[in-house]
Amino acid sequence: MELIPILSTIILVATICTFLLAIGAYILYKIRERKGEPVPYPKPSSVRAELVTPDEREYEPEQYLRPEKMHAPFEPHYVRTSTGAGIYARGQEYQRPQQKYYPVEEQEISSTGRVRTKKKFLKYTTEGYIPTEEDKNTGVLKWR
Amino acid sequence: MKNQKLNRTPIIVENNGTVHSSGDLKKKYFRRILISGAASIILVLIIVFSLPRTILSVSSLVEYATIVALVIFLFVLLLRYFGILSFAYLYLNEYTFKSSKNYFPFVSIIVPVYNESKVIRASVESLLKLDYSNYEIIIVNDGSTDDTKEVAETLVGYNKGLLTDIKISLINQPNGGKSRALNSGIKHSQADIILCMDGDSQLSPESVKLAVRHFENPKIGAVAGNVKVLNRKKFLTDLQALEYIEGLNMARSAQSYIRLVNIIPGPIGLFRKKAIADAGYYSNDTFAEDADLTLKILANGWKIYYEPASVSYTEAPAKLQQLLKQRYRWTRGIIQSISKHKRLMINPAINFGDTFILWTMFYEALIWPAMNIAANLFFIIAAIAFGFSYLIFFWWAGLALLDLITALYCIAVEKEEFRLILYAIIYRMFFILVIDICKVMSTIEEFLGIKMTWGKLERVGTIKA
Repeated sequence: MELIPILSTIILVATICTFLLAIGAYILYKIRERKGEPVPYPKPSSVRAELVTPDEREYEPEQYLRPEKMHAPFEPHYVRTSTGAGIYARGQEYQRPQQKYYPVEEQEISSTGRVRTKKKFLKYTTEGYIPTEEDKNTGVLKWR
Repeated sequence: MKNQKLNRTPIIVENNGTVHSSGDLKKKYFRRILISGAASIILVLIIVFSLPRTILSVSSLVEYATIVALVIFLFVLLLRYFGILSFAYLYLNEYTFKSSKNYFPFVSIIVPVYNESKVIRASVESLLKLDYSNYEIIIVNDGSTDDTKEVAETLVGYNKGLLTDIKISLINQPNGGKSRALNSGIKHSQADIILCMDGDSQLSPESVKLAVRHFENPKIGAVAGNVKVLNRKKFLTDLQALEYIEGLNMARSAQSYIRLVNIIPGPIGLFRKKAIADAGYYSNDTFAEDADLTLKILANGWKIYYEPASVSYTEAPAKLQQLLKQRYRWTRGIIQSISKHKRLMINPAINFGDTFILWTMFYEALIWPAMNIAANLFFIIAAIAFGFSYLIFFWWAGLALLDLITALYCIAVEKEEFRLILYAIIYRMFFILVIDICKVMSTIEEFLGIKMTWGKLERVGTIKA
């Protein structure tokens, strides 16, 4: 017996059965759905809900955090082979500016209401800035 | 997960939604039936009056029309297959695994749950294994009637993740549907990127890291993930696994090439919060809230990308009744979404991309299933009434060969199980036929305005962490 007629018959029967199965299952589904149909009820515009969150005060992040793993690189590490400009650029990246402290000058208010600094004129020496009065009292010979 | 002290704060969540009065709906559907009935009568009258003036008789008209319809069907089938495969190939060529080194935005993962006590713990545990450090988890319990609330409360707190501690919060609210649950979570979130998923799904560890990188492009409004069937090794679930790979993911890859993915799947979708807010959040006036939101985002000019490496494993229906329930809801939901955006469908000048996508959806949801059923009916009638039984064999052989080649390509691309290829032999003649019959029935019901409910799928708890 030839193969094609047999296969054709099998496929035909299978297709018809699929049709019947699909329609039957659908009707059954609709019957089951109809049984459990809920009754519609009016809904309010807003409803009360509850937000449950962990207590932030009890949380101790140091205990758990593993910062060395945070943002783990996705790509393989890239190693720069060239030297010079690259290292220089990387060095600059980590330079931190030193914090500078400036002395606050003492101020006095004159009778006219003007603000005047006591140490208006300072002289620069090898020991730093010194008031001019102090410099005059040293008695050191000055070259002109 | 250790016991931590919990804060309970009462909040008010919006419960707004479009509710049509029954009177309006009756009028609408009555008008629809009247118009379509009148159009059908006019068409029949045209045929009756014009037929005697042609060389065709009634029987030859039926034969002629059937043959023309079959030729069109075959042409469309081949065009669809090769069109999707070509675009998917182009997409895969441009796809790259390159990841951003400096872009790690804060992500809120919203997990809406309704009677998911069997699977919620496994879902959350999969989220704690994500290879990403900057995220939080918000579980939204949508008025579950089982012990989901109690199980979810045990998960709340700072829990050990793969890279850092992850904050898990819980919102308990009265039942209002998935869209309302997702909206509550999104509005509560402080993140710029939102990941919406299903309570019964599990994410792969790289899913967030690989999807988030696309948001560096400011035009991208959302990223669709890759959904895979978890509960395999059963006849029906294996067929669905093949369908997800061959039918859904390949189409999504093709759409992603033009950045116009039409449905961001419920089990995994990442959104820019601004894109969701612009679109007016999830709506509850359709039964396919994900399709509706996607269309709204596209209409606002955002681009949507597909990330195949962001995998979400989901539990597929294992029984035929459950499968029909799911597809019934999908079909009616998609038709409702198309109907809602018909203004964009008719006028391509507003947004051509949206018009194109809507017509594609219309074709896939309505025209294609009807054509498939008609073709099968034709071969059954030709075999029984006229004895041309060999025709059905060649029809089946042609389609099976086409499906085998497509399945082989798709499975190879996704590095999936090769045993699924064998299912391609019966995929179109059995599985797709059943699904298409369900789609046509659902379309007719939607057209007639028959009431429907959400239809919660029962979880058997096959998902394990």
